Amino acid sequence: MSVGSKGLHRWSPWLFISPWLLGLIVLFVYPFIASLVWSFTEYDLLTSPRFVGVDNYKRIAREFIRGEGFGKALWNTFYFAAVSIPLSTVMAIGLAVMLNWKVRGQAVFRTLFYLPSMVPMVASSILWLWLLDPRDGMVNGVLAYFYETPPLWFQGMQEGVSLPTPFQFGSKDGLALMSFWGVGNFMLIYLAALGDIDASLYQAAELDGAGRFQKFRYITLPMLSPIIFFNLILGIIQSVQAFTQVYIVSEGTGQPAESSLLISLQLFLTAFRDLEMGYASAIAWALFVILATATWGLFRSSRNWVHYRGGRL
Amino acid sequence: MFRKVSGALLLLLSVIILIWGMSISLSSPSPDDREEVVFWHFWSGPDGEVIDDVIRRFNQSQDLYYVRGVSMPGNNFDMKLFLSVTGGDPPDLINQDDPIVADWAFRKAIFSMDEIAPLEEVEQMRKWLLPSARKLGEYDGRLYAVCNGLDVRALYFNRDIVEQALRREAPDELESLEQLDEIAKLCTRYSDGELTQIGYLPDPRRLWVWGSIFGGDFYDESTGRVTPDDTSIEKALRWMQSYRERLGANAVATYRQNDQSLPNKMFPLLAERYAIVLDGQWRVRDIEAAQQATNKMRGTVTRYGVWPLPSVSPNGKTGWVNGNVFLVPRHAKNSKGAWEFIKFWTGIDGNEAEAARTCAAGGWIPVSNAVAESPEFQSYLQSHPLFARFVELAATDQETTPLVPGANRYYREVNNLVQRMMYNDDSVDLSKELTALAEDMQQHIDRIRYRSLYQEGPERD
Repeated sequence: MSVGSKGLHRWSPWLFISPWLLGLIVLFVYPFIASLVWSFTEYDLLTSPRFVGVDNYKRIAREFIRGEGFGKALWNTFYFAAVSIPLSTVMAIGLAVMLNWKVRGQAVFRTLFYLPSMVPMVASSILWLWLLDPRDGMVNGVLAYFYETPPLWFQGMQEGVSLPTPFQFGSKDGLALMSFWGVGNFMLIYLAALGDIDASLYQAAELDGAGRFQKFRYITLPMLSPIIFFNLILGIIQSVQAFTQVYIVSEGTGQPAESSLLISLQLFLTAFRDLEMGYASAIAWALFVILATATWGLFRSSRNWVHYRGGRL
Repeated sequence: MFRKVSGALLLLLSVIILIWGMSISLSSPSPDDREEVVFWHFWSGPDGEVIDDVIRRFNQSQDLYYVRGVSMPGNNFDMKLFLSVTGGDPPDLINQDDPIVADWAFRKAIFSMDEIAPLEEVEQMRKWLLPSARKLGEYDGRLYAVCNGLDVRALYFNRDIVEQALRREAPDELESLEQLDEIAKLCTRYSDGELTQIGYLPDPRRLWVWGSIFGGDFYDESTGRVTPDDTSIEKALRWMQSYRERLGANAVATYRQNDQSLPNKMFPLLAERYAIVLDGQWRVRDIEAAQQATNKMRGTVTRYGVWPLPSVSPNGKTGWVNGNVFLVPRHAKNSKGAWEFIKFWTGIDGNEAEAARTCAAGGWIPVSNAVAESPEFQSYLQSHPLFARFVELAATDQETTPLVPGANRYYREVNNLVQRMMYNDDSVDLSKELTALAEDMQQHIDRIRYRSLYQEGPERD
């Protein structure tokens, strides 16, 4: 081997990963650092940024306390996540367990329940707009038989930091309901995990006289707990990133009266409509801190409820 | 072996780059002897075809410039533009319909027309434009945008429903706001206690219209302060609120006016969900299409009419107007070509017939009387009487969204407040809410203004 080819050989791994590396630096590392710098500036994208210290973070704190702007968007996102994640988890596990039953047409059922996840977000959002139309929507068509005043869904407001009123569902509840449409992805992961549970555990439980519910409670759930934990973290990240569906159902404004203004849309409007890139960057970083704290909290709590085969990690 | 694989990979990469490069040069349509003008717009579908036709006609008429139209989704138009400006490669011309002129002019994102065109031509353009069209492009005494199509609002009504309710012929014009209220009440229908048709329901987004009709000003130019707490605007809001009190917040939200943005046959006036709707001239096309379809099926054709907004106050305007405007971004490479295209499209300088053709094809309101009065456009108006009413209104004293930096957010926040008030049965202290909004928006605007003091220079050339 010549000296030249030796040199090439040494660099070849870097050459092979260079497209990915380039992408990482340009699309992730640079924006990551740039946004941190911009968060301490006033920057409108068109003129040079001006250093303003921690003014943007002070504004975030002020809006958080008053429940305006960032505070309102954060509450909306929290509400959306708090409703959609637990219900999606229950639904996905329930479906996965049922689709794991050895019944005729199992493959067909699995395909049917997974199919909605493959519909593009824009198409499904428009579909849900129609389904949840308060006057002509199919959902209210059914609810009208049971309730005198069916919910307003995307036209309904839930103002301020308020808990949901039973059967008076508003825009955030509509968004949460929409998120069930994509439950197939989670369901698929649970289904794979269910197949991975050792059958001998169930056999041992049966010998001990355990019924269906007890097997689910004491074997299935604990064995699924690492996956539930993984999906929980994924769900939180997805809730914070939810944008397309919110943009479509609220016509890009978070209407009515900002009741569906989730944090990602707030960030977009601040950066590209109001041209406050510095403040938007600060929001992104505040969000990063909140997400990191929530994930850390989940990791801490996971010691008590996540069970790994072969012991805790 | 390694050298062979590397060599093959390099060869493959070279072929890909070569083919890509060739495809770029082959797809470039600009003739060599003409300067290219890149024009970004957001039209597509039938409107996009009209735009393509204007561009084709302009290109045919030119030996100096060649316009290349680029259609892109309107939702993220701003974002793409800013990124192109920041990246140093903006288009030469864009078309926008949001209230951003003052904001972008203030931030030096766009050229003033006197920076790209001879002063006498700009002055001629200012005089030539209708007052409302001129107002949409002026900021700080300079023309930053040239309007190429006005969007005027008026009250469409279902003549059959209104005449049935009134038991007489529908009036040509509304004498007062009380008359509108009265007709709206008569046309509101219930079946088994359930609301089935609304006479009229003020759209939460249209405080801008009614505030102006009531004689209010959203901005005081002399003090530089926003004034959503103007007493006339508060009166307009209270009047809108009276509809919510009568119908209930639930009904208002259910029959949300936003569904007016639904196209064609889904337009609630055609679906008879409303008897009267406040909307723009573009709905004439939907109404005529529906009438033609019924005619083809030999059904009974529903008749529609248009009322100008009723006069409420001696200080009031005749309506609220917005529209599409041409803007030339800073760093545009061919601003002169952009100016020539603006002149061709709007119709100034002997291009009136071409402009009339464009307006007729798109169902757009001309921005100058010279085009509106041209024989080509007059013959179009004769066959579209509903549209003619909007053209008449365009020449009257119409109000615009204030041309002030930060107007985009101001516009949004006013709409949010009205939604809070219209979709909620709880009583809201309007004066307090409007005062708080005024303070909040003034802070927002001052923050933008204050920032400019720290800028080193007007632009980053």
